[in-house]
Amino acid sequence: MDEETIVAIATPPGRGGIGVVRLSGNRACEIAAKLVHREPLETQRATVAAFIDPETGRPLDQVVVTCYHRPHSYTGEDVAEISCHGAPVILGALVECCLAEGARAAEPGEFTLRAFLNGRIDLTQAEAVRDLIESRTLYQARVAAAQLEGAVSARLKPHKQVLLELIAALEAGIDFADDDVPVLPRAEIVTRIEAIRCDLGKLVRGYAFGRIVHEGLSLVIAGRPNVGKSSLFNRLLEENRAIVTATPGTTRDLVAENANLGGIPLRFVDTAGIREAADEAEKIGVEKSLESLAEADLRLWVLDASADWREEDAAWVRKACAAGATIVVLNKSDLPLRCSAEDVKKALAGEGGCPVLAMLDTSALTGAGIAELKNAIVKSAMGSAGLGSEGELITHARHQQLLKQSLDALDRAREASGAGVHHEMLLLDLYEALRLLDALTGATDVEDVLGVIFSKFCVGK
Amino acid sequence: MQGYSEHYDVVVVGAGHAGVEAAMAAARMGLKAALYTINLDLICQMSCNPAVGGIAKGHLVREVDALGGVMGEVIDAVGIQFRLLNTSRGPAVWSPRAQADKKAYRIKMRQTLEAEPNLRIKQAEVVELILEDCHAGDAAAPSYGAAPRRVRGVRLRDGRTVEASAVVITTGTFLNGLVHCGEQTYPAGRSGEPPSVMLGEALRKLGFEVGRLKTGTPPRLDRRTIDFSQFEEQRGDPLPTPFSFRTRAITQPQTACWLAATNAETHRIIRENLSRSPLYSGKIKSIGPRYCPSIEDKVVKFADKPHHQIFLEPEGLDTNEIYVNGMSTSMPIDAQARMIASIPGLENADMIRPGYAIEYDMVQPTELAPWLETKKMRNLFLAGQINGTTGYEEAACQGLMAGINAGLRVMEREPLVIDRTQGYTGILIDDLVSKGVDEPYRMFTSRAEFRLHLRIDNADERLTPLGYRAGTIEEKHYQAFLEKQARISAATKFLLSTRLDPAGPAGRAIYLKLGLLREGGTAPLTGAQLLKRPEVGMEDLLAWVNEALARQGLEELGGNAGGLFEREEARRIETDFKYEGYLQQQQKQIERMRRAEARVIPESFDYRKISGLSREVVEKFTKVRPRTLGQALRIPGVTPAAVSLVNVYIEIFQRRGAEQPSA
Repeated sequence: MDEETIVAIATPPGRGGIGVVRLSGNRACEIAAKLVHREPLETQRATVAAFIDPETGRPLDQVVVTCYHRPHSYTGEDVAEISCHGAPVILGALVECCLAEGARAAEPGEFTLRAFLNGRIDLTQAEAVRDLIESRTLYQARVAAAQLEGAVSARLKPHKQVLLELIAALEAGIDFADDDVPVLPRAEIVTRIEAIRCDLGKLVRGYAFGRIVHEGLSLVIAGRPNVGKSSLFNRLLEENRAIVTATPGTTRDLVAENANLGGIPLRFVDTAGIREAADEAEKIGVEKSLESLAEADLRLWVLDASADWREEDAAWVRKACAAGATIVVLNKSDLPLRCSAEDVKKALAGEGGCPVLAMLDTSALTGAGIAELKNAIVKSAMGSAGLGSEGELITHARHQQLLKQSLDALDRAREASGAGVHHEMLLLDLYEALRLLDALTGATDVEDVLGVIFSKFCVGK
Repeated sequence: MQGYSEHYDVVVVGAGHAGVEAAMAAARMGLKAALYTINLDLICQMSCNPAVGGIAKGHLVREVDALGGVMGEVIDAVGIQFRLLNTSRGPAVWSPRAQADKKAYRIKMRQTLEAEPNLRIKQAEVVELILEDCHAGDAAAPSYGAAPRRVRGVRLRDGRTVEASAVVITTGTFLNGLVHCGEQTYPAGRSGEPPSVMLGEALRKLGFEVGRLKTGTPPRLDRRTIDFSQFEEQRGDPLPTPFSFRTRAITQPQTACWLAATNAETHRIIRENLSRSPLYSGKIKSIGPRYCPSIEDKVVKFADKPHHQIFLEPEGLDTNEIYVNGMSTSMPIDAQARMIASIPGLENADMIRPGYAIEYDMVQPTELAPWLETKKMRNLFLAGQINGTTGYEEAACQGLMAGINAGLRVMEREPLVIDRTQGYTGILIDDLVSKGVDEPYRMFTSRAEFRLHLRIDNADERLTPLGYRAGTIEEKHYQAFLEKQARISAATKFLLSTRLDPAGPAGRAIYLKLGLLREGGTAPLTGAQLLKRPEVGMEDLLAWVNEALARQGLEELGGNAGGLFEREEARRIETDFKYEGYLQQQQKQIERMRRAEARVIPESFDYRKISGLSREVVEKFTKVRPRTLGQALRIPGVTPAAVSLVNVYIEIFQRRGAEQPSA
């Protein structure tokens, strides 16, 4: 029986100070040892050795080889890592030699797949590995790293345990009805379900922020023409332009760029000025702007502080607020003031008010107030989750959906319990809730339920 | 060739609860069968508690009965206290239990065997299996992988050889049995009976993975020395629930049991003598059942519990022997006596037999195909405790399935496998062959994913057609089953389509009860709609429904069983209406599982060719050889991702067609 040994260059393509070739599988250490003519290699110890050119038989590079024996390795199999100088030719030669010794080139993600299949990491951790590699900001990387440590599973574990214990208690009542096993009163069942529901609900809501960390936040800058939207757009992007390539505007009216604010990847969208359109062409532009207003996670409505407040401004601001979280920016604060934050507040006070997230004075020209605006943007992203670091956990739509379905099942069980439904039916929904949580991290077996029963209840006549 | 002294189609080794079912099934299928036992006078001896059924176990007995087994009819004939358990819950978890007259059970079972013309019962010790190599083209019926050898017969201790086309081994606790009682240890199959040592060695030599398990039994007391006024009496149900669909009357006189409890003094005695208990002195190394722990185990593991419940159960109508249920122990005899005497009412109780523990050999059931044939040896079947289970009922259902499949094998027909959606029997066997055992396996309703569907009232609907096809159900019983199905389906149709007249005699009472009459008349509701109301049950509608059945020329609900099944058949209809929502929810899950079960893994599938599977997982797959993706998922330590990978490769290999690798 021989699992294939796989090999790949583990460092990014191109020239670098150091390059790493990684092997995993039964023959990983043996192959690595052959390459450096040093057999056998010590486990978990870096060995300095020479990589011998198989053609000339002479040293090609000085390398460091580290071997890890199963199951104490990333993949759970024997793993060897060869660090060499980061020249593509040397890395290539190392891989060639490994292939010649019988290794196979790894498919993308295969090392992680093996770690998952060998039970070294759970599904959320496997996802986190991908996120970590793909993260664009340090903050994203930190969140992914926490998930890699098993933060999601760790967070769900106590709930799964409570659920498992509740299931076990109800099962014991059914299967050991003839023993003197206590039957849980209805109120107790409801209380226990409620506790799990409450906390899972918090996690689900945290997804609002988690998604932003994972996918980034889209922010649209809108306002009437000539209020300084584009200058503000450029100001905000200054020094913050994302490393990744800029996305060109999808239409001639919308310009979008990616940036990194406080660790959160942001997609800024600049829009055409919004007003009652004069002609058909402008009407299309305005409609596009209004659409992007509705689609964004956050809106900056820009007003010209040096111009008078107009009646139509109130209607536009209300429209923006109706679409979601909105920050009102009073731009051109460097010019004589004709419209203050107080004026705006007063104007918006009628008709039940308007829930503006924040109101700030800025000058795109001088840069005054820009730092405060950036803070407000970051804060609003965090604030929409309202959970602090908790909210970072659920970053994938898959997680959120499973959690939500689990919550639904718990709801049904709680209702059924209140209505006095027999436990064997109520359990259908509790098992469903548990199955969905398991789908996130790993499986529960009936043996787990029985395990709890036998440790908690003295049963058996 | 050897000179065989006798020839049979199916030979069964061991006449316990598994063995008799296996032998009867093969004989009822029209095959020549023989049942070998070390002692003909102890056929179906109840080594432990004098009772059949219990939660989930009662389900198993109903299934055995529905498939044409004998356990149900025998216990119905000799039961001395019938109770339907769990009635405070829904009908899915109701389960019958009955105290048995132990001696009467043995006798009745022997009579049943003797009445079967195709069956011979024999007293002899089987010591060895006779094998031969399989020939190419031998495999007329599908085999599991290609077993290199097949069984040809058995050798008896006296040297005779018996030829058999198939052999079923059901040795219970007899394989290398070792009894422990305090500091004493001696080889035995059961207290007072010799173990089966040579067959144990023979099986080990064949290369089966053999394990060792432990079980135990409590002391028995003399009825005349017990002060029953100290205990709470527990009587049976006024209307007994029979185990067999074929039972027409329960005629035995009924008796009572008594509830008692241990106390601080009992626990003190146990703790003081723990060092003399083989369980705690380290003498017993094998694992016992967690759910049937010895009293010393309960006292140690649940130290804060001041009392442990025990039951005093008569072992029969014409004996003074009382079984102390809940007091299983292997403490020294003097300590057992003091433990008993510490319970008020048992101060003067005389111990007829002490409790003891027994260690015995089992064969790891992952050695078996889902039809209980060994993978290594064709035509060899194992059933009962040898497969790592505990309980008469668990043994019986395996015995029956092994007997049926041995018969089908001899007749070169496809094996019969009950799946997890069809019955507890299927769950039990699937668990055994997929997961193996590391402690004695007992059935629980919580092991059944589709518990709401697997009820005692529909066991016949689920399984009787399968038994009929296999040949274990007699024609007249099958006709009775079809009649029952017809009246239930007619009653269901009637309730769905007919509105109950509020002005009629039946209607008035019900609408009044629902408070619908006072509101100045009401639109008439159908029977189905009425049954959805929690206040209405089938008992309210029974007369109305029975009238309708009579008009169609059908029998009343319950048929001709003198009222024994009237309530049950009515409830079966009621359940389908009342719990429709949950039943449908479960139906969706059943379909999900069926999809996974429908994905068949080719027998020759080579797991080593899947890149990305760890060696451990490949080993597990290769050992169990799951037949379907669903079964693969249930193997412990196998991740869903690994199973998905297998799924992908089934596809790949199939596309490659001719290139498909063979093991």
